[in-house]
Amino acid sequence: MSTVRLVGITKHYGATVAVQDFNLQVADGELVTLLGPSGCGKTTTLRTVAGLVEPSAGRIWFDDQDVTDLPPRKRNIGFVFQTPALFPHLSVANNIAFGLSVKGAKKDAIGARVDEMLTMVGLAGYGSRLPAQLSGGQQQRVSLARVLATDPRVLLFDEPLSALDRNLRDTLKYSILDLQRRTRKTAIYVTHDQSEAFAISDRIVVMNAGRAEQIGTQTDIYLHPQTPFVAEFIGANNGLTGTVTGTDGAGDEARMVVAADGLTLRARPRPDVRAGDQVLVYLRPENLVVLPDGDGAEYDNVVDGTIDRVIFEGPTAQLRVDVAGRELRADISGSQRLTLIQRQGKVRLGFNDLTMIPAGAALTSAGSESASAAIANAAPGGTEP
Amino acid sequence: MTGQPLSLPIPGVAPGTARRERRRALTGLAMLLPAIVVSLLFLYYPLVFIVQMSFTLANTFLSPAGPTATLENYGAMLSRYLPNLGVTIQLAGLATLVDLLFGIPFAYILVRKVRYRDIVRAFMVFPMFGALYIAFGMRFILLPGGPATPLFELFNIPNTAVLYSLPSVVFAMSIFTFPFMVMNVGTALSNVDPTLEEAAACLGARPWQTFVRILLPLTRAGIVAGALMVFGWSLGTFAEPLLLGSVNEQKTLAWTLYLKGVVQTDYGLATTMGVVLLAFAFVVTYFSLRYSRGALIE
Amino acid sequence: MAPAFERERRSVRITRRCLGGLASHADIWFCLFVCVVPFLALRVYSFTGPGGTSAIENFQYVVGSVGENLFWSIRIAFLSLAIDLAIALPAAYAIVRYPFPGKRFLYSALALPLYVPGAVIGISLVLTFNFTYHLTTSVWGLVLAMTVGTFPLMLTPLIVALKDLPPVFEEAAECLGASRWQTFWRIVFPLIGPGVSAGLMLSFIIVFNEYLVTLFVHPPEVTTAPLRIFNLVRTAGLLPTTAALAVTMQLISFAAVLLFFRVFGTRYLKGTYLI
Repeated sequence: MSTVRLVGITKHYGATVAVQDFNLQVADGELVTLLGPSGCGKTTTLRTVAGLVEPSAGRIWFDDQDVTDLPPRKRNIGFVFQTPALFPHLSVANNIAFGLSVKGAKKDAIGARVDEMLTMVGLAGYGSRLPAQLSGGQQQRVSLARVLATDPRVLLFDEPLSALDRNLRDTLKYSILDLQRRTRKTAIYVTHDQSEAFAISDRIVVMNAGRAEQIGTQTDIYLHPQTPFVAEFIGANNGLTGTVTGTDGAGDEARMVVAADGLTLRARPRPDVRAGDQVLVYLRPENLVVLPDGDGAEYDNVVDGTIDRVIFEGPTAQLRVDVAGRELRADISGSQRLTLIQRQGKVRLGFNDLTMIPAGAALTSAGSESASAAIANAAPGGTEP
Repeated sequence: MTGQPLSLPIPGVAPGTARRERRRALTGLAMLLPAIVVSLLFLYYPLVFIVQMSFTLANTFLSPAGPTATLENYGAMLSRYLPNLGVTIQLAGLATLVDLLFGIPFAYILVRKVRYRDIVRAFMVFPMFGALYIAFGMRFILLPGGPATPLFELFNIPNTAVLYSLPSVVFAMSIFTFPFMVMNVGTALSNVDPTLEEAAACLGARPWQTFVRILLPLTRAGIVAGALMVFGWSLGTFAEPLLLGSVNEQKTLAWTLYLKGVVQTDYGLATTMGVVLLAFAFVVTYFSLRYSRGALIE
Repeated sequence: MAPAFERERRSVRITRRCLGGLASHADIWFCLFVCVVPFLALRVYSFTGPGGTSAIENFQYVVGSVGENLFWSIRIAFLSLAIDLAIALPAAYAIVRYPFPGKRFLYSALALPLYVPGAVIGISLVLTFNFTYHLTTSVWGLVLAMTVGTFPLMLTPLIVALKDLPPVFEEAAECLGASRWQTFWRIVFPLIGPGVSAGLMLSFIIVFNEYLVTLFVHPPEVTTAPLRIFNLVRTAGLLPTTAALAVTMQLISFAAVLLFFRVFGTRYLKGTYLI
């Protein structure tokens, strides 16, 4: 069991920065996901933890051990690659045995461990097959068994499901989560797939352009994005720019009034936003509700618009509404979506939760900054410079 | 990944990184060391050695009195052995030409139309076993009373006119180098997307127009590389001229070099011929590498 | 009458296409025949028996009288192949997997022997063996000459095979705790096996049939089979027994090629001499 700490990890290739001052602390047994678009530096970060990439700056700690200068083979990690990367010339059993046998384990001990692992991933009896004789999903399960056989301190996953088809992805992601929970291994999981990240993570790190934009639980990330990037990257979002004109109400009922793109919106106050500030406002399509005409007293915000298009997508219907010359998207579910299909003309929308972010809040979000400070301070024995 | 220019040095950069990279580079070079040492000892040093020797008179390089420096060998090369160089280049050039003529269509058909490519490849290795066997076999075929005799009688040509002649030498040389030509052109052709030809055909180009205006420009590198390679290889062989050529063809530089160097021990003159051959080979190699091989290392 | 006209035109077109196809295949087989004809001629000749000898006796001669030459050829081929492989494996691995400056230049420098005429290699080696290394009477001189000459043929397929091998297998092995040595011998080497075999096969058929450099550098007591053939053809004229030896040499070489094709296919010869 292990904790993992990344302090100030930076990696640049020539003049290109892949990762910039990345800080993260992963608790024992926790599964943390690095989520971001391709090229955001998440895989590079993971590979520095494995030792496959040497960071240009920063340190990596497993518990109290600084592993930055250790080669991968001395870190005792389990790395699951994008492709199963099973050694094609070795049988499934020999693949699983590889990690133990290079460390010089006894033959019968290896055999017992291999059987245990095969049973664990549900492939008992497949030991003598060659990797090419297995399906993609089975291969990835063998690669899981292979890394678990060596009893690694940390599990590292580099988009392990991206090469599989959709159905397999869904079942396998829960197998991974289940195995991680059962073995109580600390794990870092890299993906660009939001639903995957939300389904299995204890915490999510949203990365962009080599930096951590926000670190938090699923609900933090989803409901309280701290930066415009996170707000736009997670789910679809209606984004508006505006200016805070004042405050309305008091106590729990206090709302800030924002003039945005010709609309007047009311949002929960934030300590770092004052009247006169430029802000970005985001409304999630799934939070918009179609109101009967003349209604709307229980909503903070009520806007009127004209329906541009209705797109029926099965479980939901997408409503494109022209509000004061700006298109807003509303995702309608439940039985209401069926009645909307034929609807045209005026419509009234109501919503409460909207996210307000100061316009200046870019990469140096308060969240990740304080986290990095906390991690830096927590360096054991004061050996950190 | 957005490339943000960084002002180096970055604060806190581990000084170990640069050292580790240097160590990796050194490890790589260390693994190359045996190959480099063998090449230096048994290829580069001997080549330098013969260049030195070519500036000494006959076998005085080793005489107790010390070597006699001279440019006479190069003088002799120009005054007496220019025809030998001429024949060498003539034979190599003609063999290259024959290979081009037969090799380009062969490679095209092989890459585009033939399904039994592996069988063809298997049989194509026969010439690679060596010019010696080709020359030997051809000599037997062309000899009076050999398998080709009825053919000669049909056209009423004396056997010996063909046996010891320039065409038979060129023919044997081009058989030997034919696979190299086909390999180079074929590789270039298989890198050309066949849909380009279909596109040209759909735009109304005739087959020969497609060939001249689409295929030739796209495969030029392979063709030139193949031709240079064949030419370079043909400069150095001597079994074909020796077994199939008349006195004129037997004058090739490689064989003269052997006679001078090993039989008559006129090291100065022999090494001079070696240097001249080497100079030609280097020029050819330089262009051949520029056209083809570089792609392997990147 | 239009349909009939159409039909006629189509048949004309079909005939032309068929003829074109036939001509293509005829060209292939003609060129192949020309490539193989010297071998076929020697095979025919090796079975003729002037002077009362019969075909079998010609081949008995190969095993008996020139058996020693054949044996030398095989021994020298194996020794130089072993050295070739031992120096080419680390070199290829370094070229593909390690970063260092001047890589292209180094590869070109190592590949140079392919382009140096055999006679030049021969004269330069015989002189240095004579006057610097004192290797003229040692079989190692010949072995090293063969090693240098065929080194690029061994190196190139190894480089191609290593470049085709995704680094993820090595990374996986390393993450599982294998040292570089273990990773190389247990993962990389088996996976580039076809490349290794391609290099061995190519180098073998070249060394086994080499007569030109051998003519210059062979020690007095060593005469390889191709050199014996060269000498016999030059001095004794054409003999069916010599033809039998040449046929045997080519058949052994061809068997090596066929064996390789059978086991690995032609894919691994990319970038080398055999397409």
